[in-house]
Amino acid sequence: MSAAVPQKVFDDYRVLPDEVLKPGQPRVEKFLQAMRKSLQQKENWTFWLPYILSLDTCMKCGTCAEVCPVYQATGRREIYHPVFRADMLRKIYKRYFTLPGRLFPWLVGAEDLTEEKLDALAESVYRCTICRRCSYVCPVAIDNGVIVREARKILDEIGIAPGELKEKGTRLQLKVGNATGMPTAAFLDMVEFLEDEIEETRGYRIKIPVDKEGAEYLLMHNAGDYLAFAETVMGAAEVMHAAGVDWTLNSPNTGINDAVNYGVFYSDVEFSAVIKAHVETARKLGIKKLVVGECGHAFEALKYLILRLIPPEERPFEVISILELEDRWLREGRLKVDPQKNPEPVTFHDSCKLGRLGGMFEEPRRILKACCPDFREMTPNREMSLCCGGGSGFAIMEKGGFLKFRMETYGRLKAEQLKATGAKVVACACSNCKAQFREIINYHKLPMRYAGVSELLANALVR
Amino acid sequence: MDLGYLIAAIMPYVAVAFFVFGLGYKIIFWSKAPVNLHWELFPYPHTVSEQLKEMLTEVFTLRSLYLFNRKFWLPSLMMHYGIYLVVTWLVVLLLGFPFAPYLGMLGGVLALAGSFSLLLLRLFIDEVRKISVPVEYFNLIFIFLLALSSLFTGFLADFQVRFYLLSLFTLKPALSIVANYHVPLLLLELFLIYVPFTRMAHFAVKFFTYHKIKWGELH
Repeated sequence: MSAAVPQKVFDDYRVLPDEVLKPGQPRVEKFLQAMRKSLQQKENWTFWLPYILSLDTCMKCGTCAEVCPVYQATGRREIYHPVFRADMLRKIYKRYFTLPGRLFPWLVGAEDLTEEKLDALAESVYRCTICRRCSYVCPVAIDNGVIVREARKILDEIGIAPGELKEKGTRLQLKVGNATGMPTAAFLDMVEFLEDEIEETRGYRIKIPVDKEGAEYLLMHNAGDYLAFAETVMGAAEVMHAAGVDWTLNSPNTGINDAVNYGVFYSDVEFSAVIKAHVETARKLGIKKLVVGECGHAFEALKYLILRLIPPEERPFEVISILELEDRWLREGRLKVDPQKNPEPVTFHDSCKLGRLGGMFEEPRRILKACCPDFREMTPNREMSLCCGGGSGFAIMEKGGFLKFRMETYGRLKAEQLKATGAKVVACACSNCKAQFREIINYHKLPMRYAGVSELLANALVR
Repeated sequence: MDLGYLIAAIMPYVAVAFFVFGLGYKIIFWSKAPVNLHWELFPYPHTVSEQLKEMLTEVFTLRSLYLFNRKFWLPSLMMHYGIYLVVTWLVVLLLGFPFAPYLGMLGGVLALAGSFSLLLLRLFIDEVRKISVPVEYFNLIFIFLLALSSLFTGFLADFQVRFYLLSLFTLKPALSIVANYHVPLLLLELFLIYVPFTRMAHFAVKFFTYHKIKWGELH
C-alpha cells in the first residue's frame, strides 16, 4: 500500500500531518472556547495587550507585506500576505468576540469558523517564522507575529501542534533534559569525543568541565549543536579555556542541559515549564552566570521573556550571551587572535531572535572584524535583516514537503543575499539559522560554508 | 424639538462626551492591562527625548510609509495633515486668530484629497483591495464626506463659527450662526462619536504599541 498523501488544506505543504490536525473531526467549538480564554486578560496576561491591539487596530495599509520574505519570495501570493494570515484569526475574533462583528459581520469582515477554515489557519500559522520584520516597519506597530503566535497557542490548547516542537521538543526536553533525547552517558562520551577532536585539530588537549558546582559560568548550548554543529561547541570550549575562566557545561544529570525552549514558538504553558526547569538547574548547580550558547530563541527567552515571568530573587544568576563574553574578552585583551588564520571573506547573518528581538547587533560584528580580515556586510542587515527561514522551529520541520517551502521562500531570498556578498563563509550565532543555512547552501548550490561565530573566533586564537 | 436644534444644540455635547469618555475609557482600559512579557524590537529609542523625536517624526512625516510603502505615503500624508490642520483650525479659531479660516480650508482640502486618493488606491490596487473589508471604505468615505460638506457649505471658511463654538461653552448655543452648516456639523458629531470605537483611534493606540510594546521598558 502506498503512503497516503495528506489532503491539501491550505497550500501545497502539510507540516501538520492528519494525526495531529485531525481534519474531519469537530474542533471548531473547542477552538472557540480556547480562543475565548486567550482573549481574557487573566487567562492570557503574557501577551494580552499586543494581541488585542494588533487584532483591533490594523489599518490594512499593507506595509507589512512589502517587507515580508514569504510574500515577496512567492511573487506576492495572496495567501502569504501577512494581513491575509492575521485576518484568518481576526475574522473569527470579530465574528464571535466583538459586538460590531456579531451585528454587522459583512461590514467589518467577520466570518463564521468552519472545520475547513480551521485546517487552513493551522497550516497558515506555520508559514510565518514570527521574524517580526513586519512589526518593525508597521506604522501603527501592529504585530502580525504575536497574532500568529497566539493562534499557535490556541491550536496547541486543542491538541494541534507540530510533533517536532511538542512531543519531540518541549515534552522530551522536560523528560530527559534535552530535546535531542541524549542521556547523560552519551553526553559524557560526546564531551570526551570533543576533547579528542580539539586535540586532533589543534594539537593540544583541553579539559571540558562538566557539572561543576558553583562555577562562575555555566555554558548551555542548544543540545542539537553537539550533534549537528559540534564546531561551535568546540569553539566555545576553546574560548572559555583560553580566557582562563571558571566554567562548566552540564549533563542531563543536573536537570536541563539544553538551552532551547520551543515553547517560545507555540505555547506559554510549555515555555514557562521549560524556563522554570532551566532556572532550577542553574540554581541547583549554584552557578553565577548562565551563558547562552549560539542559539537565538534561547537567548530571547532567557534574557528577556524570563524577566516578568520569574521574579529576580528566584533567579540569582546573570544571563549573558556567549557573544557578549567573547566580545568583552577580545576588547579586554584577554583573548589574543590572529585574523590571518581566517583568510576567507566572511559575512554575518543577523538572526531575528538575536538581532531584531535581542539587540545583539554590534557584538558579533566586533568579534568577526577582530578575527576575520575580510568581513563583508550583507544587505539589508541588522534590524532589517531577512529571516533565513529557520526561525520559530522551522529548521527542524520537514514534514509534508516543508523543506521545499523553506528553500523556495525565505531560503531563496537569503541565497541571493549570500551570493551578492561574494563571501566564502556565512557566520551566524543561532542553531536554527545554521540548520537552515546547511540546507540553503546545499539546495541553492552556493560555493560557501556556514560557521558559528565561536568557531571562527577559536580558529583565530593565539595561544 | 426640530432636527436643527438637535444637531446644533444637543449633539455637540453628546459627541464631545462620547469622544472624551469613550477614548478615556479605552485608554484607561489599556493602561490597566497586565504588563506583557518583554517583546521589544531593537533598536529602539531609550530616553524621553529620543522617543519624542521618533514619535514626532512618525506623526509628521509618516516615515514608515515613506520608507516601505511609498505609494500610500503622499495620500496618507495629505489626509493626516488635513486632520492635523482642522484640529489646529479649531484651536486658533477659538483663540480668535483671523487666519483660522485659511487653515481650516487648507485642512479640508487636504483631507478631501487625501481620503479620495486613499479610496482610489484601496479600490484599484488589487492586493490592497483583497485585504480590505467594507468598513475600510466606509471610514474613508466618512472622512471624504465630512471634508466635502465642510468645504462646500463654507463651514471651515466662516470666522463666525468661532462665536457659535464659544456660545457652546456658555450653554447657550448661537443656533443662527450654524443654520447653514447642519450637515457638516452632524457628520463631525457622528465622527467624534464613532472614532473611539474604531481603529481610527490608532493615534491613541500607538502610544501603547510603541511605548509599551515595541520600545518596551528596558532602560
